[in-house]
Amino acid sequence: MTTATPMPTRRTPLWRNVRVLRFVLQVVFLVGVAGLLLYLVDNVVGNLERLGIPTGFDYLDQPAGFAIPDSDFSSAQSLGDALIVGVQNTLKVSLIGIVLATIIGVLVGVARLSSNWLVRKSAALYVETFRNIPVLVIILFWYLGVVLRLPPIGEAVEIPDLLVISNRGIAIPWFDKVGEGFAFGLVALVGLAAAVLVWIWRTRRFDRTGAPHRRMLWAGGVLLAILAVGFFAAGSPWALEFPERGERSTTGGFRLSPEYAALLIGLALYTASHIAEIVRGSILAVPGGQSEAANAVGLSGWQRLRHVVLPQAFRISVPPIANQYLNLMKNSSLGIAISYYELTKITRVSIAQQAPAVQAILLLMGIYLLISLSIALVTNLVNRRLTVKGRR
Amino acid sequence: MSVFKGLALCVVFSAVLLFGVGCSIGGDDDDGGEAAGDTGQTEATGQEGGASLLQEVQNRGTLRCGVNDAVPGFGFIGEAGEPEGFDIDFCRVVAAAVLGDSEAVEYTVLSAEQRFTALQSGEVDVLIRNTTWTSSRDGTEGARFLHTTFYDQQRMMVPADSGVRSLEDLDGETICVLSGTTTELNLETVFQARGIDYEPLAAEETEVLQPAFIEGRCGAWTSDASQLAGIRSNWPQGQGGPEALVILDEIMSKEPLGPVVRDGDDDWADAVNWAVISTVAAEELGIDSTNVQQMLDSEDPEVLRLLGQPAPVEAGGEAEAFDAGLGLPADFAVQVIEQVGNYGEIYERNVGPDSPLELERGLNALWTDGGLQYAPPYR
Repeated sequence: MTTATPMPTRRTPLWRNVRVLRFVLQVVFLVGVAGLLLYLVDNVVGNLERLGIPTGFDYLDQPAGFAIPDSDFSSAQSLGDALIVGVQNTLKVSLIGIVLATIIGVLVGVARLSSNWLVRKSAALYVETFRNIPVLVIILFWYLGVVLRLPPIGEAVEIPDLLVISNRGIAIPWFDKVGEGFAFGLVALVGLAAAVLVWIWRTRRFDRTGAPHRRMLWAGGVLLAILAVGFFAAGSPWALEFPERGERSTTGGFRLSPEYAALLIGLALYTASHIAEIVRGSILAVPGGQSEAANAVGLSGWQRLRHVVLPQAFRISVPPIANQYLNLMKNSSLGIAISYYELTKITRVSIAQQAPAVQAILLLMGIYLLISLSIALVTNLVNRRLTVKGRR
Repeated sequence: MSVFKGLALCVVFSAVLLFGVGCSIGGDDDDGGEAAGDTGQTEATGQEGGASLLQEVQNRGTLRCGVNDAVPGFGFIGEAGEPEGFDIDFCRVVAAAVLGDSEAVEYTVLSAEQRFTALQSGEVDVLIRNTTWTSSRDGTEGARFLHTTFYDQQRMMVPADSGVRSLEDLDGETICVLSGTTTELNLETVFQARGIDYEPLAAEETEVLQPAFIEGRCGAWTSDASQLAGIRSNWPQGQGGPEALVILDEIMSKEPLGPVVRDGDDDWADAVNWAVISTVAAEELGIDSTNVQQMLDSEDPEVLRLLGQPAPVEAGGEAEAFDAGLGLPADFAVQVIEQVGNYGEIYERNVGPDSPLELERGLNALWTDGGLQYAPPYR
């Protein structure tokens, strides 16, 4: 067998070199897109200048002029500060909404698969109701139909030293700072570090000996013990304050505003119905053989759920649930309908009070993008940790 | 190779984009608007040689008017399902003057937060929506305010049985207000200056504020006195009717309300302005919708000039009707008064003492009666 002589290599001329052509085409395309974007930006800026509307972001330094309820914001502060309050409010409703929706959603999702007929049907009713009504309608219903119908402040329901319920808010006991909190902050950090160390120790012990680690109990216990000791050692810097009914509002404690409550409940219930369906789907997606094997090995129903089915279902459910979290965060912008001062509301109010619309909305979109990306980052980390090795 | 290629492409793309964006934003004035400068001709021109909105509206044949639908007496959907009110009538005035037909109007309902964006973007030609004239709106909203059609004030409305008689009694109260309005800002200013504590409840729509006020979520409601009068006049009997509410006498701020157009189009602004002013001028001269036809043959040269009729010439020469060069037909005032009415008729019909709002002329009377409505000379 003779080997053929290798062909002499010759450089293909540039104009018909496929790789060069592809590269050039991509550059041309990018320049085209960039040119289009530049034209659009130039057009908008030109029109704004023609109308005498300022371009640029200097408007953020102007005094806001409006007040924000439920906060220490003063109308003399800048619009930039108002936006920060808006971000805080959005996060307040989003993060707690995410936690609530997850808890309710998982419970309802598992309930839909219960062997108890009543439990199963009730869960199905909940899911079908809340999934099929637009979230804005749900929020408006909770606000206009439920929260506003609570007794007016003059007839507020009072559980002495515990709750004051009226349509001006629900007041609960809360901590009020009476001393120096700084020392206690240090103690808290020390406690957290100790808890982490204990967690690692118990896990290592489990790996070595196989004895149940109970690391949650241990770490939690250590943390609480250190916090308790530190609290009293630092001279009890926080005291519990009880709400009292005043003539027009409540004093003391922490007051959940009706708008916040309605938005939170509406969002949580709506998103929970979606999460319930995802949880149900992901449990059903665990191969049936797993359950059969668990039964064959002698695990009880609860043990099967806890050790075999749910861990695998959890892995499957993370990406769609992450999606629902993002939806909840974006749906928080519906607070504008009931006058909850989250980010979109504050942007709209500032546009009506002299801020240029184009820049304000671009900034709003940018901030939402940032928050979304942060949530997505966290969920992606969780997802990556759960991915079975060898699968993409 | 592919990693570097991707990187190179990204760098090129970002560099081009950032360079371009950096040049545009930041307020350099190379595109600054200069008027094309052709005044005194019948063809209207606007910015940079483009056609004025006046021309565009005349070509289009309809006027796009931004209005309210939630204030009885000013901008409200009537029983027939049609918009009616003081501001709506002034939309019809502009349409009658520019197009000759007061019904050739397309009404766009706008919320307080949307109205300036809709005006700036060209969605509406003119905004007649109980909008207060302020400096920052002239400056940063790119708006041009025209003749004030209604001199209003901001007041506070409370339930009659609340025992509140002055603003100081409202310490610690939650107060309902429409968001995106000057009333929201004035509330803050006045209460801060007087050291009165309060919590605002600022919703976008009256439909959310009204249930909140009824349920006691807020103990007071502040707005323009004319709006409060309208809301009070419409208060449901089940809640006690209008007698259940009291509007406090204290004046919190001045609220001059009038039509608004975009900055940068002087011809359109002038046309709309004089269309509106003609209603006041007509009332000053005693012309109303019932006698405008007879007035066409009047002896008074002022009347003839306003109505665009040639003055009688003694020795058989050609008489010319007066044309102010606004781009409007010479007899636009006749159309306005015939189809809509003069200022007094518009006022009486919508908000006057015989209407549900029961507002006296007060500051809105003619200057000859001690009020502020004063028409510059039409000559």
